[in-house]
Amino acid sequence: MGLIGPNGAGKSTLLSVILGIVKPTAGYVRLFGKPISPQSLRKIGYVPQEPYSKDSNFPASVYETVLMGRIPYSRPFPWFGREDHRKVEEALKRLDIEDLKKRKIGELSGGQTQRVFTAKALVGEPELLIFDEPTSGVDSEAKKEFYSILEQLNRDFGITTILSIHDLGVVTKLARTIICINRTLYFDGLTTGFNPNVILPKVYNFAVEVIKHGDHP
Amino acid sequence: MAVLCSLLSVYIVIKRLSLIGDGLAHTAYGGLAIGLAIGSVESILSNPFLVGGAIVIAGSIMITKAIRSARFSGDAAVAVFLELGLATGIFVTSVTRNYGFNLNALLFGSILLVTWTQIYATALVLALTIVTIFVLYKQLLYTIFNEVQASAAGIVTWKFDYLLAVLTGIAVIVSIPVVGILLTSALFVLPALTSLQIARSFKQTILMSPIFGLLSIILGILFSIIEPNAAPGGTIVLVGLTLLLATMVTRKITSLFKH
Repeated sequence: MGLIGPNGAGKSTLLSVILGIVKPTAGYVRLFGKPISPQSLRKIGYVPQEPYSKDSNFPASVYETVLMGRIPYSRPFPWFGREDHRKVEEALKRLDIEDLKKRKIGELSGGQTQRVFTAKALVGEPELLIFDEPTSGVDSEAKKEFYSILEQLNRDFGITTILSIHDLGVVTKLARTIICINRTLYFDGLTTGFNPNVILPKVYNFAVEVIKHGDHP
Repeated sequence: MAVLCSLLSVYIVIKRLSLIGDGLAHTAYGGLAIGLAIGSVESILSNPFLVGGAIVIAGSIMITKAIRSARFSGDAAVAVFLELGLATGIFVTSVTRNYGFNLNALLFGSILLVTWTQIYATALVLALTIVTIFVLYKQLLYTIFNEVQASAAGIVTWKFDYLLAVLTGIAVIVSIPVVGILLTSALFVLPALTSLQIARSFKQTILMSPIFGLLSIILGILFSIIEPNAAPGGTIVLVGLTLLLATMVTRKITSLFKH
């Protein structure tokens, strides 16, 4: 599902409300049919817009970072179980970052960091993945790889993914459904029913020219 | 004591609150002055450290609150309380004419005149801190790593933020009388900074930090014994700084080898 809208539209806020980080002023949130609870949050893998800021001096290794994704599943005390470690190894392999295991999280490129946090979102065995602007700060080669990984995950595991994103081309190509907001909802439905020429000018408040690449806008 | 401060220093340095040890130490100065002033009136609160301690912990909580409200950055909030504490201390001391309040002792501590009560208190606080860090290791780790992701994982992050504030406050108030303001400030920063130079993971950082802290203290005391005029406070901090320098050099050298 693609979540689109201009800057300031409230995309990140919407995601925060879904995750229970921000309380809604009206209405309610249901995750998997039930109110937000630690159990339901566990089933969500979340990667925020800036999962790791470069000027942070946090000393975690890549392995430790991905391992943090298992925290909702583990007991108190500093140790993790065999299952936790197995999941981390699996995720590292799937994202092709095993060789980065011992590197410190601050030493990686944008694309590598992207994979680490995707792996971290995956180790919790999520039924839902939420990415907030996952490809800002990532070069186009890494972007392509990222999207192909997402497609693969969707195929192999059927994990629902919500992508909050700016790149309309990607959204229309990749997403099955689209939600378009700019403080209010402008569109919620299948991608095939999304007509950019009609909706976008309303949302973005200026004349939008849609350039067609191949047979998708 | 070294272990206590070094452990907490990891969280502090990462959260960019490096001068909070100093800030709270000066708050303690003010707090203790108030404590002493009250002490001469009310016999129940006769121990200035109880009042002083409460004030320091309150200060720590307020610093955290100021930061979380996004109105102040970490360093600004600490600075405010540092000045508040110092000014209050000076004011109260002069107004109550309590010049028995030994400024020198507070600045440098009196390692050699430690009472058994202080030792017990420190041991207790250390045990409490270690247990807390141990049991709540993951929540604290996640919270200081990235609050947004931690919240999304279901962790009530503000509780752990304040918990760290309280632990820091308690650590400060037990450290000041023994090692003084300078050393408390240093012990809350240098060990973590040193281990951050060479640690490859958070676990390593938190294990190395107390080692560096202890090393600084032991070597510092040794040097002050060898050179009888050298005050232990100064030597300990200088050793700590040297260790920091050493780790930075080591890191530079090893990175040269890699290429």
